[in-house]
Amino acid sequence: MKTLTLKVNDVDVTQVVEPRETLADFLRERLRLTATHLGCEHGACGACTVTIDGVATRSCLRLAVMCEGQSVTTLEGMESDATMDVLRRHFHTGHALQCGFCTPGMLMMARDILLRIPTPDPATVRQQLSGQICRCTGYANIVAAIVAAGREIGGRRAAGA
Amino acid sequence: MKPAPFDYVKPKSVAEVSAALGAEGANAAAIAGGQSLLPMLSLRVALPDLLVDIGGLDELKQVSATADTIYIGALTTHAAIEDGRLPDDCNGLMRMVASKISYRAVRNHGTIGGSVALADPAADWPGCLMALGAQVRVSGRATVRRQPVADFVQGQYSTTLAADEIILGFDVPRPDPGTRWGFSKVVRKSGAFANSIAFAVAQGRGGPVSVVLAAAAPRPCALPTVAERIGTGKDSEDDLRSAIVADIAAHAPQDDPYLVRLHISTVLRALREMQGR
Amino acid sequence: MSSAPGDRGWIGASLLRKEDHRHLHGRGMFIADVQVPGVQDVAFVRSQMAHARLRNVIKPADAAGRVFTLADLAPINVLEAGPELAAHRHSPYPPLADGRVRYVGQTIAACVMPTRAQAEDLADRVKVELEELPAIVDAVAAMKADSPRVFDEWPSNAYISTTVVEGTPDSLAAAPIRLRRRLRLNRQATVSLEGRGVLAYWDYRLDELVVYLSTQGGQVKRIALSRMLGLPEEKVRVIAPDVGGGFGGKNRIMPEDIAVAALALKLKHPVRWIEDRREHLLASVHCRDHTYDLVISADRDGTLLGVEGDIYIDAGAYALWPTGSFQEASMASRNLTGPYRIRHLRLNAHTVATNKAPMGPYRGVARPGATFAIERLVDEVARELGREPVELRRQNIVTASELPYRTAAGMKLDTGDYIAALDIARDKIDLPAIRKRQAAGEPDGRRIGVGFAFYTEQSGHGTAEFMKRKFRVIPGYESANVRMLPDGGVIIYVGVQNHGQGHETSLAQIAAHELGIDPARISVRYGDTAVGPYGFGTFASRSIVFAGGAVGKAAHILADKIRRIGAHFLQADVADTRIADGMVHGPSAKISIAEIAFAANARPDQLPAGMDPLLDTIATYEPSDSGGVFAYGTHAVVVAVDPDSGVTELLDYVVSEDCGTMINPMIVDGQVQGGIAQGIGTALYEEIPYDEQGQPLATTFADYMVPCAPEIPDVRIVHLVTPALTTAYGVKGLGEGGAVAPPAAIANAVADAFRDIGASFNETPLTPRRVSEAVDRARRAGSAGR
Repeated sequence: MKTLTLKVNDVDVTQVVEPRETLADFLRERLRLTATHLGCEHGACGACTVTIDGVATRSCLRLAVMCEGQSVTTLEGMESDATMDVLRRHFHTGHALQCGFCTPGMLMMARDILLRIPTPDPATVRQQLSGQICRCTGYANIVAAIVAAGREIGGRRAAGA
Repeated sequence: MKPAPFDYVKPKSVAEVSAALGAEGANAAAIAGGQSLLPMLSLRVALPDLLVDIGGLDELKQVSATADTIYIGALTTHAAIEDGRLPDDCNGLMRMVASKISYRAVRNHGTIGGSVALADPAADWPGCLMALGAQVRVSGRATVRRQPVADFVQGQYSTTLAADEIILGFDVPRPDPGTRWGFSKVVRKSGAFANSIAFAVAQGRGGPVSVVLAAAAPRPCALPTVAERIGTGKDSEDDLRSAIVADIAAHAPQDDPYLVRLHISTVLRALREMQGR
Repeated sequence: MSSAPGDRGWIGASLLRKEDHRHLHGRGMFIADVQVPGVQDVAFVRSQMAHARLRNVIKPADAAGRVFTLADLAPINVLEAGPELAAHRHSPYPPLADGRVRYVGQTIAACVMPTRAQAEDLADRVKVELEELPAIVDAVAAMKADSPRVFDEWPSNAYISTTVVEGTPDSLAAAPIRLRRRLRLNRQATVSLEGRGVLAYWDYRLDELVVYLSTQGGQVKRIALSRMLGLPEEKVRVIAPDVGGGFGGKNRIMPEDIAVAALALKLKHPVRWIEDRREHLLASVHCRDHTYDLVISADRDGTLLGVEGDIYIDAGAYALWPTGSFQEASMASRNLTGPYRIRHLRLNAHTVATNKAPMGPYRGVARPGATFAIERLVDEVARELGREPVELRRQNIVTASELPYRTAAGMKLDTGDYIAALDIARDKIDLPAIRKRQAAGEPDGRRIGVGFAFYTEQSGHGTAEFMKRKFRVIPGYESANVRMLPDGGVIIYVGVQNHGQGHETSLAQIAAHELGIDPARISVRYGDTAVGPYGFGTFASRSIVFAGGAVGKAAHILADKIRRIGAHFLQADVADTRIADGMVHGPSAKISIAEIAFAANARPDQLPAGMDPLLDTIATYEPSDSGGVFAYGTHAVVVAVDPDSGVTELLDYVVSEDCGTMINPMIVDGQVQGGIAQGIGTALYEEIPYDEQGQPLATTFADYMVPCAPEIPDVRIVHLVTPALTTAYGVKGLGEGGAVAPPAAIANAVADAFRDIGASFNETPLTPRRVSEAVDRARRAGSAGR
């Protein structure tokens, strides 16, 4: 067992963990932060996407012990995030979710895309969503929502907001 | 799909890493980004007793350049290369290769050293580094040894790494400014493991040409006849096709006619891209 | 997207979804999120052989009390599954293997530990002694007389063989055009992003077994749990939390469900099993595995006459309760005529047992297979006659003036304009431009092709259709309990199970339309047998027809009562009142529905004499014609294919579709686009191949290819609206239609790309290998001089 100290959603956390626990299971089972979902447990679906020190990460592909001293953010920690607010709104108005299971990981990845590529075109968004599985929507509305969110945020920036 | 139990250490120096990996009877595995190892642990196809986390070795994160070489530390992530943070990415070739590896969230953690150390036949970096004539630096007991990547990667999941060794980084000769390249990768879906990869690099006018085919054999293989034909200007479609067929038969023989067609088409696409630059 | 009522009020409004909020904030509650104190996790020991005698299970001595085989559970009453046909053979499917294992992944033992990781550690230490038996892995070969048997006591490997004969198929022998083709859809999985899961515990206060189950219909599952465990139904409660996709894969009772429930009863603490991805691909519902060996007959002028031949459904090792998979054979046979005037049929359909995971329904069920078969055959006839495939369809398709049209096999195609759908798709894909482009050739050497496929989607079918399929549970109605609370807010309990279809929104729209209030005041609830009325769940594109009808009916009953109370308050004639905008309007005054609701619940003294209090009613509903209503449409797709690598790219995708009245067009479009993505998966990507020992060769997403955004184009959707005549509001179901046509349309497009060399593309998925090999074969045959 190892004692792990890290930040999760801006809160200091210290827990004793087994080295074999993935970050995903640590978040879900130890901290009861269940927004982060498990769709495959081998990094192929993106449902478990979080950020570690701001960097998009598939949390099933990271051991909790490897996050010592780092800052992990899940969807639960994005309640006041400006980019995430705009994305949530466009996902809603654009019908970019159906069953909701992929949605947390999809939103986390969408936010990462917009932070790196401020006003992406649809083809770029499609490529950036590689390996992010949704089984319900057929992706079209997700792509459109991200493009629209990017335009809105880009527009605000241009207007000096 | 939860991993079996193991111990975990995160040494602070290369020497400590070697000691942990090479300890008598240690069933130990090094972990860098973990993007390949974690699925293997979760599926219980990898069953180490000890994970040695090399992620704390800052010296493996350095990148630097001299007039003729760039040095890329083993822990450089695919995302760092994709984002253009190498001092010279060989006229965009390494950036392009990086951007097509797996998915962004995986590229954020996966490393070039991890890719070459694992030597998956379908990996991208071994073949790319071979095409660029790169050398690998490996930590030994007392010294650092260097070896061409072409010799370092021996077969499927097989390299010359001894149990207590890790890759420190790669020395990549800087190609001259007139270098043209082509890169083609065939995957079943975006980000999946490749079924066929081809790299073609031509230095300046009349400079050395290197053509490498990967995911066709247990290790990437150079296609010398193809390179020679390009270099000597015998590069009609028929010339190239017959050279590809001959090189595949000699260096990456296939039982399966479909795979021959596939690899020919991949190499041709890479060559056309290079010639079109 | 509008949030306000349109011309018809809330019917037809693209109201934004009420269920989005929790998911956008990560506050959904899926089965793995349900937290019950004291729960322990199960890992199953599963068979590594496809067919074997189970000789022994050796438990580690230090943990014997945590490893359970069938013998360790209280006796399970294994139910007979399959259609109610004496000829259908019984394949007893115990929750843990009983002396025999019949597919790789079948459950043998359950290990229970505080965490899943520990349970897997324990499962790894359990030794299983299996005596290997020959594996039956080919459904066609399995029908040969000398094939080894999946079930020793069966005379053959057929669960059942059935024949459909219509018209005078003997007359087909003289037809001038007779083309024989073998078509195949390979086995795949349903792959909801959320796997299955079950959590069970005994609730001592209510004296009942509580089973949280990721399911598409808890009431029907309760029947099975109750009977198999020997518990009366009032002591079994099934709760579906948020369900992360189902598509048919969560609508049968599965062995893990029974095993976990039995363990909860035995161990007296909560027990949970969460399916992982490998288990899902191994042992969840398998689907699509059809082989067709057919002859299509036609006249020289292009009139399609008949279809004859054999259909093999690879149904796997066991029938799943309640229905088994006989409906695949039944639906395939009866849908093979498609939308055409084909009058002669002779089809032998075999539902075959093999040593593979059991087959279950998956979006479209047998229709993707039947549509693939007939639409490919139509294109082959077109090629034989040198005709444009879309024109040959136009010639043979049932026209609007012929509807309603009873097909040869008894499907009553109800309303629509099939030719209009065909023409719209042809025009939107711009067929003449594609033909020009093909003639010009591509600079990169790829071949361009355009393909069409027409589909009809039997939806909203009930008693009459399910009786044809001989179901043992007949989903012949749906229920809705509409309850108005004292402040005028409404809670509706329905028997369907929303799992992404937007019922919380669309059903609220229907109720709002009837009640004259805002859908924001209407809460739609479902999924708990303790709370909801009896109903059958969500599958077969039934929910908007059945639950929509039930909600409308119950809401209408309440609206009438509200008007009568309002008339009483306004001292007006009820005939002079109308309900709108949250009010009852009389000739000269109005009163709020909220005031009426308060009176009905809390001021019975104010009600008209003799009127019962409450505004709370349950209604059941089935359409007046329970044979189903038919959504339909045309898919048109343009592809670019590399002849050497065989890689296919989708350049353009158009759908013209008609699902009658659309309650919420935004939701309809989402279903169409989503269904097409799964259809593209079937067409190009998804497959579980098997080796000769019955080992499945795709057990993780490394090998099982699920398409993502780069693989799925935006689909251009055009709607036609021809209301149904026999349903409330004229709705038709539409959830599956998108998934039905893509394999046919894409295969037709790839075939079109290589029309000149006559390459054949009759097997899904059209992997690069299959495409390249088909092109190579055709080129060799061409150069060998046929």
